[in-house]
Amino acid sequence: MTLQIELNGVNKFYGAFHALKDINLAIEEGTFVALVGPSGCGKSTLLRSLAGLEKISTGEMKIAGARMNDVPPRKRDVAMVFQSYALYPHMTVEENLTYSLRIRGVKKAEARKAAEEVAATTGLSHLMKRYPRELSGGQRQRVAMSRAIIRHPKAFLFDEPLSNLDAALRVHMRKEIRALHDRLNATSVYVTHDQIEAMTMADHVVVMRDGIIEQQGRPLDLYDRPANKFVAGFIGSPAMNFIPAIVADDGAQVVLDFGKTQAKLAIGSRLSPGTSLTAGIRPEHIKIVAEGQGAFDVPVGIVESTGSATFITSATQPELTIVETGRGGAKSGDIIGLAIEPAQLHLFDTATGRRIEPQSGQVGIEPLRHLHLAGHAS
Amino acid sequence: MKRILASVTDGKGFDIGLVLLPLAFLFIMSGLPLVYNVVMSFQEVDMFSLGSFVRPFVGFKNYVDLFSQPETRPILLNTALFVSSSIAGQFLIGFGLALFFWMNFPGASWLRGLFLVSWVMPGLVVGAIWNWILSGDFGVLNFFLRETGVIEGNIFWRSDPNYSLWAVIIANIWLGTSFNMILLSVGLSGIPKDLYEAAELDGANALQRFFTITLPMMRSTIGAIIALGLIFTLQQFDLFAGITSGGPNNSSNVTQYWAWDLSFRQYDFAKGATISVIMIVFVMLASVVYVRSTRHEVRG
Amino acid sequence: MSDQLRNRVMLAVALLLAAIYLFPLYWMYITALKTGSSMFATPPKFLPSEPQWGIYAFVWESRNMGRYLWNSLVIALGAVSLIAVLGVGCAYVLARYRNVWVDIGLFLILMLQVLPASLMITPIFVGFSQFGLLDTPRFAVILAIAAKSMPFFVVLVRATFMSVPMELEEAALVDGNSRIGAFFNIVLPLARNGILVSAILIFMQAFGEFVYSKSMIQDIELQPASVGLNSFMGPNTNEWNNIMAYATIYVTPILAAFILLQRRIVSGLTSGALK
Repeated sequence: MTLQIELNGVNKFYGAFHALKDINLAIEEGTFVALVGPSGCGKSTLLRSLAGLEKISTGEMKIAGARMNDVPPRKRDVAMVFQSYALYPHMTVEENLTYSLRIRGVKKAEARKAAEEVAATTGLSHLMKRYPRELSGGQRQRVAMSRAIIRHPKAFLFDEPLSNLDAALRVHMRKEIRALHDRLNATSVYVTHDQIEAMTMADHVVVMRDGIIEQQGRPLDLYDRPANKFVAGFIGSPAMNFIPAIVADDGAQVVLDFGKTQAKLAIGSRLSPGTSLTAGIRPEHIKIVAEGQGAFDVPVGIVESTGSATFITSATQPELTIVETGRGGAKSGDIIGLAIEPAQLHLFDTATGRRIEPQSGQVGIEPLRHLHLAGHAS
Repeated sequence: MKRILASVTDGKGFDIGLVLLPLAFLFIMSGLPLVYNVVMSFQEVDMFSLGSFVRPFVGFKNYVDLFSQPETRPILLNTALFVSSSIAGQFLIGFGLALFFWMNFPGASWLRGLFLVSWVMPGLVVGAIWNWILSGDFGVLNFFLRETGVIEGNIFWRSDPNYSLWAVIIANIWLGTSFNMILLSVGLSGIPKDLYEAAELDGANALQRFFTITLPMMRSTIGAIIALGLIFTLQQFDLFAGITSGGPNNSSNVTQYWAWDLSFRQYDFAKGATISVIMIVFVMLASVVYVRSTRHEVRG
Repeated sequence: MSDQLRNRVMLAVALLLAAIYLFPLYWMYITALKTGSSMFATPPKFLPSEPQWGIYAFVWESRNMGRYLWNSLVIALGAVSLIAVLGVGCAYVLARYRNVWVDIGLFLILMLQVLPASLMITPIFVGFSQFGLLDTPRFAVILAIAAKSMPFFVVLVRATFMSVPMELEEAALVDGNSRIGAFFNIVLPLARNGILVSAILIFMQAFGEFVYSKSMIQDIELQPASVGLNSFMGPNTNEWNNIMAYATIYVTPILAAFILLQRRIVSGLTSGALK
């Protein structure tokens, strides 16, 4: 397996603004990578640097083994799908598709044939003579994709390509883009601010904030073992609950601090007593049990139901969000008991936000994951 | 060499090349004359020394001479009157028309655009038409004024020193009103409609809405338009050439016509340059106001 | 009051306002058709009783208008070509970048835009005569007009380029184009209309230009129509029907072009002046 994209110590400055801070990234051929993060985190800058639309300030960038720092976009052989699609408004769909081929001097008939083949796979054959303004949003999106496919580039770069579509179409196109990636055996870098897109589409997720990579890895690894509080809060929906906590005197429990009340919870490992930290629990990992039956009891604040799931917000400080599948019987004002598996409790250093790894316990899960990873990569 | 070529096809060299050539042209054709103008205002320039590059420097003599001339004061006053009356007339009539056409009705935007013909016509043609309209004995304006009882006898617009400047002002107001109106219309259409709906729900009547919403929201547009008006009015030359030629006896003369008249009628290039320097400084101050009031838009 | 009635009343008022405003134009067209005596009739006639259609041919011949208009055309076309060749690239760069240098360049250009021609002519005339440019007076006028009008053109065309999305150009670069190729293949075709409208506006200005031509072109053979009109209007002329016929022939093509392209010209003009 060869490395298709390599970034070593890449920095980007806009004047005094440090947009990318020491980025290291290695992307294997055939991987679907998602760059995800809040707006302004540098993910788009990183993508545009890969395309050559931005020049990196320091560091090294390689595509298919060749150094790309000073290579202009046209010589990088990458294709990009823009957020606005950037279809040439004065060209028909066919002209849009064949544009890159015509520039490279491909014969007219040949370019046309290539366009027809691509259009057949993306369902655009009947729209070839139309202009972009005569197409629907979804159709424009397909043209933008097809324009990238036709070139068989070394890498596909996607800049939030689904953000202009409505919710239903977005879910559909998500699958379609992933299927396309698999069929073409392509290398793709996909920028999005939507963590669900990143989780569902990518083999490898890169979470960025303020120009640095907070964590990268397989989607479920990020979900199961977020490296810090930011990633923990960013990945997963609804977001993880965070509660200030102190390690109890026995070192095997933490005391969750809800202001007026406190709750003790086993952590399945040992930490030095008295350490103050932040505990994180995903809403879907909290089980509702009868009053007094769980680790601790909370009063119910707000109950929202989507039909398939019920969202319960506790009347505590800080609030806890709990997701229950189906329709629970809890009403506002009820007292409910909460059960939490020690393995699903995340602990973070309050000052640095970094994950605190338990020193023992939780054995048996890690090796399994590695096995799974190896199986996939082959 | 290869690097430079690559920069032109793929990098910043392309942009620098595109922008440097026209800037050099503008520098030679506008920047240097600007400097040369200042130099000449400190020199003695006449028909004989016109062609030579070395001319005697006379210090501030041209400036001192200029301000001791008897016609200087009236001409400066004329300029102030011409500028202020023209701007006031153009702006008020333009604003009135813009507000009228703002009330949407079929054909409004097309008719509004039609007004702009006054602005695209050559200034000298506008001057010729108004020269004829303002003619004393046979002018159609005098006819209208007599018929409506505003005046008893004919006004000799062009030859009566009391009216000659006003003849040019009237023509200039006509010429500039449409441009004011179009720009004000753009400003008006930029005010969100829901502001008016909110104000109406808050109980403001039409007049209150005008003073509390329209005027404040138009502030930067109005600033830009007044500054532009000042700039355009100080550029106005063709109407003077076409209607009064600054006469009779300088009664309708203004600085921008006078500067030309000194240089090209009296061949006193040094004096012409001196007035130019003074006026250009003034125009530049006006344009700073203009640039400032449109700056947030310039920067995008 | 029903909407329809309101609209009709408004339209009627608007037509009345337009009629009053455009009366000077009407007066030009009508006067040209009057005989020497009916022109001075009191009260004046607002419809000519016996329109003198032959006046156009007469004025065309006697004033040698063909030559004047040809010179105007040469000057206007020369100035527009020069401005377009130099100005388009400049406008493009100023539209693409946002930094201090662009702000400074834009500021300088806006400053040059406001310099009155009648004040600039003195140094330009003296300088041009020293460098022998006045030996080719029409070329000298073209240069002077180009310097005067290019800033305005750059401001207008820059607004056009700003409306072309940056992504289109970037897509072309990723698709394998050089900067030059992307500029000519993608950006320029999309900005074509705006550039054309701006060029027409500049053409109209240059076609009616007076100060520079009057000052720099002594040879009557090379003078444009504005200078010709000026020398036609002596201080005590009473040939107003002929002068108005001259004016009619001079401005009608400009007015026709304006009315045909009105919508585009108006929107192009406003986008440049306030943005």
